[in-house]
Amino acid sequence: MSLSWFLKRLALIVYTLLIVSVVVFGITQVLPGDAAQSVLGENATPAALAALRVKLGLDQPVLVQFAHWLGGVLHGDFGTSIRTGQPVGPMMFTALGRSLILTVLSLALMLVIAVPLGILAALRRGRAADVGVGLISYLGVSVPEFVTATVLLIVLADWLQLLPATGYVPLAEHPIEGLKHLVLPVLTVSLVLVAHVSRMVRSEMVDVLHSDYVRAARLKGLPERVVLVRHALRNALIPVVTIVALDVGYVLGGIIVVEEIFALPGIGRQLIVAIESRDLPAIQAGALIMAATYAVANLIADMVCALLDRRIQYD
Amino acid sequence: MTALLDIANYSLAYRTRGTETTVLSAIDLAVGEGEVLGLVGESGSGKSSLAWAIMRALPSNAREDGGTIRLRGDDLRAMGPAKLLEVRGGRIGMVFQDPATSLNPTLTLGRQIVEVLKQHRGMGRAEAHREAVEALRRVELRDPEALMARYPHEASGGEKQRVGIATAFACRPELVIFDEPTTALDVITGNRILELFRRLRDETGVGGLYISHDLALVQKVADRVAVLDRGHIVEQGDARRIFTAPQADYTKRLVAAVPTPEHRLVDDQPAGGEPLLTAEDIAVTYGRKRLFRDKRVAGNRGISLSIGKGEILGLVGESGSGKSTLAKAITGINRFTGRILYDGRWVEHERQMDRQYRAGIQIVFQHPDASLNPRQTIGEILQRPLRLYGGDVKDVPKLLEQVRLPADFARRYPHQLSGGQKQRVAIARAFAARPRLVICDEITAPLDVSVQASIIELLLELRRAHGTAYMFITHDLNLVRQIAHRLAVIRGGELVDLLNAEDVGAASTHPYTRELMAASSSLVSNG
Repeated sequence: MSLSWFLKRLALIVYTLLIVSVVVFGITQVLPGDAAQSVLGENATPAALAALRVKLGLDQPVLVQFAHWLGGVLHGDFGTSIRTGQPVGPMMFTALGRSLILTVLSLALMLVIAVPLGILAALRRGRAADVGVGLISYLGVSVPEFVTATVLLIVLADWLQLLPATGYVPLAEHPIEGLKHLVLPVLTVSLVLVAHVSRMVRSEMVDVLHSDYVRAARLKGLPERVVLVRHALRNALIPVVTIVALDVGYVLGGIIVVEEIFALPGIGRQLIVAIESRDLPAIQAGALIMAATYAVANLIADMVCALLDRRIQYD
Repeated sequence: MTALLDIANYSLAYRTRGTETTVLSAIDLAVGEGEVLGLVGESGSGKSSLAWAIMRALPSNAREDGGTIRLRGDDLRAMGPAKLLEVRGGRIGMVFQDPATSLNPTLTLGRQIVEVLKQHRGMGRAEAHREAVEALRRVELRDPEALMARYPHEASGGEKQRVGIATAFACRPELVIFDEPTTALDVITGNRILELFRRLRDETGVGGLYISHDLALVQKVADRVAVLDRGHIVEQGDARRIFTAPQADYTKRLVAAVPTPEHRLVDDQPAGGEPLLTAEDIAVTYGRKRLFRDKRVAGNRGISLSIGKGEILGLVGESGSGKSTLAKAITGINRFTGRILYDGRWVEHERQMDRQYRAGIQIVFQHPDASLNPRQTIGEILQRPLRLYGGDVKDVPKLLEQVRLPADFARRYPHQLSGGQKQRVAIARAFAARPRLVICDEITAPLDVSVQASIIELLLELRRAHGTAYMFITHDLNLVRQIAHRLAVIRGGELVDLLNAEDVGAASTHPYTRELMAASSSLVSNG
């Protein structure tokens, strides 16, 4: 892993984001109705609409509008929300922060559950434990997250009254309350992800356990624990890292349902609100920020893979 | 006096889907103190199973049917897991077949030897590191300190196998098991590994069990030899005696199948006249030029040679010398520079190779497992070239008959065939195009000696019938000297020597050719 590789990857991310921004901007252009229409409503007079369009710069050619928008983005100015009249940037970044907390905690919990389950299934291949893990996995994959969320909500929040059902409390202000509010969404998301990651760990472990070097490690007289962790798991985790990076994208964008159910104002929820209210600057900012986070997550995954396996040479 | 390793009346079977297959029956074997016992057998003879049985690392479907395995009187079969950890890697060291796969790719070489020292000799980190460096120095590795920090992919095959040997000897074992330690290496590297083993053995006086399919090689290292055939020990005795005066029929067949250069299998001379194919100044480069760095590696440089009609040209060299690269250039798989004259026409680019050229020059690859499509039947595999090169698809049975396979094999899939049978199918596929030159790229390397002999016989038979020329690529100098008219010796991508087979050893022989010859293990001639 060299510095030049890293710089190249960064350049590639910038390039990717540029394309994303064109697509995002282009789509908001072809949507029926424009920002002026959505601000003034359906009963607006043509004169008022025209005046607002001039004010918002909507009378300019598309390319000029795009350049203007992109210039703003590069200065950290994502425009003003049509819905709230507030700057879009801070609003979206606050939401992203909440989503990232959810993402990191969910992925961490998921790994803590999925990796040992996968190892267990690989070691007990074809036996009860393997079948059990497989069953849980398929259940996890096939049950939609809103069902998982609802069941957890009913059991933990309603029956047992252990946790608050919905809402969000900033961690910085009330750490304990904040964590309590996070437990249910984190649990839901990680349970959904445990399924495929544990399957992945299992199949990778099965392969690695049959490898020559694991047999060699055993025949060198190393204790089973060392063989499993140092020699087998390390190699089995390399492909898993890539999959986990893809999950980052899923958790950020795909779990709007979970954010909805637990009333967690993450970036997914913000984006839904923005789409509902035709808040174009907010949609553009949300999509762009998500794409950037996703790209960075993949970069990190590639770096972790290179650290785990020195044969991977990026240049 | 008790033997170092004593196996008595040991039997083993594997259970698969309800049926039980006996792998080892009533094995009696002893390795004395300081003695090296060679265990020779072809694939499927059970020799690896015996090694696993000694190491107590049998697969879960194995069932032992009585017998004892004792190391200096201690019954290994009766030992608990903790005791066994001490035996594995501590009292018994093991060197594995393929250093490329038996070392963990994600750990440094140093760490993989240090962990053994920590485990078995209770050393601390710093002490184990110092001892590991010493162990690497003892196996004649240059700059061991730097090697410690390297990963397996940053070392050559020979270096990796030396690390494997250093690891096996690191804990001063009582016995070392060698499981085909040179099979995955080329002749010269393998020979140096054998020399190293002999030296270490003289220094440490360790006892050894040397498992191999290669009789000639075992003769070089073993004091005594046991011959294993389908789970039975058919013969056991002094190494020299086994090879010069084998008793059992099986041993006799094995000894007879070992190629000896003195025993020529081809006695005719090629037709002469215009060469069939002339290659001029062939060069192949791998990799591509990048924006900032030129990453290209030369695979071949300036190779010029020709092959006569019906000639057998042996192409020999170490692994990585560029033998296969040349074969792929001539068949148009590799992009090359230079030119090839075939059938009165110069070819300067693989795009100029027309159907006639491609039909005329066929290739058989080393691993039939990789070159035969597992999802196609043998019939489908053979129909392809027939259709492509204007043959008759009804000729499949004829093709099979040519390579001595029953016609009903057309309905089978590759996995239902043995290694030798699969290679016969690959040969039939090459001959379906009615070629004038067949390039055989290490086609006997993965096969047992007896199977290898029958494949060679088949090739010579096909040559008699069709007048086909062969370019026979191999690292086995003894084998190629039996059949080739001329030898081309290639090293580092360049042609270093081109000589008539009978001139090998003459004054004009290139020093490198001599080195290759010296490294090729050959049986001590009878009497």
